[in-house]
Amino acid sequence: MSISEDAASTRGERLVFGENLAPGKFVGLSFKNGLLNIVTLTLYRFWAKTEVRRRIWSGVSLNGEAFEYTGRGKELFLGFLLALVLVVLPLLIVVFTAQFLAPQLAFLIILPVYLVLFYLMGFGRFTAFRYLASRTHWRGVRFALTGSPWRYAWSYIGYMLLNVITLGWFAPAAQRRLAAPLWNGLRFGDREFKFDIDRARKVGLYGPFTVFWLGGVVSYFVFMGVAIALAGDMMPKTASEPSLAFIAFVYAAILAWAVVLSVLSAPYQAAILRTLAAGITLEDARFSFKVGWLEMAGLVLTNLALVTFTLGFLTPVMEARTAKFLIRRLRSEGEVDLAAARQAERGPRMGEGLADAFGMATV
Amino acid sequence: MQARFHDGLTARSLPVEVTVEAHRLSFDADGETHVWSLADLQIEDLGDRLRLSHPKVGDGRLTLDAAAWRASGGGAGLKAERRHQKREARLVVGLAVAGLAIAAVVFIGMPAASGPLARATPPNIEERMGRNFEAQLSIAFRPCDPGAGQTALAAFGQRLEAAADTPFDIRVRAVQAPMVNAFALPGGAVMVTDDLIALAKTPDELAAVIAHEAAHVERRHVMQAVWRSLGLGLVLDAVVGGGSGAGQQAVLLAGSVADLRFSRSAESEADVRGQQLLEANGLSSQGMAPFFERIAAKGEGAEAGAVRELMSSHPDSLSRARESAARARPGAPAFTPAEWAAIRMVCQKPKRTLRQILKNPLGD
Ligand SMILES: [Zn+2]
Repeated sequence: MSISEDAASTRGERLVFGENLAPGKFVGLSFKNGLLNIVTLTLYRFWAKTEVRRRIWSGVSLNGEAFEYTGRGKELFLGFLLALVLVVLPLLIVVFTAQFLAPQLAFLIILPVYLVLFYLMGFGRFTAFRYLASRTHWRGVRFALTGSPWRYAWSYIGYMLLNVITLGWFAPAAQRRLAAPLWNGLRFGDREFKFDIDRARKVGLYGPFTVFWLGGVVSYFVFMGVAIALAGDMMPKTASEPSLAFIAFVYAAILAWAVVLSVLSAPYQAAILRTLAAGITLEDARFSFKVGWLEMAGLVLTNLALVTFTLGFLTPVMEARTAKFLIRRLRSEGEVDLAAARQAERGPRMGEGLADAFGMATV
Repeated sequence: MQARFHDGLTARSLPVEVTVEAHRLSFDADGETHVWSLADLQIEDLGDRLRLSHPKVGDGRLTLDAAAWRASGGGAGLKAERRHQKREARLVVGLAVAGLAIAAVVFIGMPAASGPLARATPPNIEERMGRNFEAQLSIAFRPCDPGAGQTALAAFGQRLEAAADTPFDIRVRAVQAPMVNAFALPGGAVMVTDDLIALAKTPDELAAVIAHEAAHVERRHVMQAVWRSLGLGLVLDAVVGGGSGAGQQAVLLAGSVADLRFSRSAESEADVRGQQLLEANGLSSQGMAPFFERIAAKGEGAEAGAVRELMSSHPDSLSRARESAARARPGAPAFTPAEWAAIRMVCQKPKRTLRQILKNPLGD
């Protein structure tokens, strides 16, 4: 078979995702990362995260070819340092200076600080996604995210405020609106992804969200009621220090509530995955997630157990099994001329500083 | 051996035939012959397949069957692997050293710098900060109602201030809180809880505790602790990232002064200086020893919880009681019997239990 024939035969491919991830194999890496994190006062975390991603990416394949993560720990570290100097330090100084001022003035300063934090979260979310895209290669071609993180940050802050005003009821709509610029701006080489929000809306979010919201509120009051009733008996009447039994009780109550919330949120989480996948297109290729709420609840609960009972040590295992779970349920229909994709420009030189600084970097 | 070549320019997947010779591999793609030296090869293990890259081609990749590669004697990319391991070892050592340096800054540098920093802080700034703290603290530590008791405490504070070398107004006040404690805020406010007043058997004992706190103010130990926790906050953020909120928490904790801990030497200094402030007013400095002995006894007994706050912010009660007794001199009592009676009654409102506080944090 000649090269030209082969090229012709690959014109238009259906996208078939595969994985050979073995979460058990991430246990050793978890321990290595955990120990090095301790020795280096967590400074190793950037390199740890990079290695986990490298292994997860290479365990996921598209049409038989594994993805490749080309990010470096050093890039994350430099991004973090930059965010530290440009953002975290000034914010800390402002918060600290506010301590010197009259309480009314302090309030006037702290409030804008929180607005700035919201803004930076949006900015961080966009730039983290951009970094991830630029460090993801497939068949030697990298992904890229176009668009403005500044504009994204403005919509982020707007949606967050709407969310606060509506007591969270804007959140489902915000999920799609915040995903749209990320997927609309995504490129594989020079091939453009699109996010069709009308198509995404065909998967309803408000049903499962109502279950989550109402269940969350009701269970909150139930837990508080039970806690106060029980705590009254357990709590010493005069001494200032709560007993050990009381502290253990509080933690157990929080864990129990987290379990209830996880189950309640599972249908919503599953619906978010379905609606986002439904909105994404790459030329003629469409995507879908076949994920039900029961298996989602199973994943969330086992992940919760895995992370809480090992104090976060097994987080890499959790990430690997989550990736495995998702890839196994990701389907695509329609064809894309992948071979025609030309290489994209190199992405940003540093990564995710802001996102890391605000603790929201993904996988 | 069959392989797929991705040239890093487009996402075409070219089937190529790879030949491995002594120190290199070669293949033809698009009529061009590529030669890669085996020594510089980077090999990524994908399970039953391998992904090869070479510094020469940048984004280009060659994927092939792992078994076939081994059979062809292609090697394991050991040189790149060894280079990688060496780099990682250097990295870990470097980061561990950085970690140690940070720990040294926290445990040695910051405590050493906090004293000079505190003394260099302009008093008006410390005062403003203190007022802000007072406003925040008044939620958990509600001031008791004004009256003869509060007046007597305030007057005593002014006598200490006159003897002390301080730019601050020493403002002593009784507050309501379910713990035995006394603490000084930046800028001269001294708070004594109703439970501590109840625990004091004589005017001497209460006076000794207040004088000790006044000495903390005079020697600017409070400001020193604020600087220390600010430094800790910065370092925490620098190490674990601002996302954890750890740094901000530490900075804000500097605001909940009740939690500030002074160093042991600062405590001894305040013990000695507190007694001097009392003696300068012709007052008895004998109250400290019996009070701390009683606290030490309670610390081991059934009421340990009640005095734990004071114990943890003022450690080594017994040895300090002994040293204090050795220095103590007799003198006049700090309060007249009428004043003492008023102070004992200063917070006569019904006490709030923890349960009530949980249900209704702001009181009223
Ligand atoms: Zn003290």
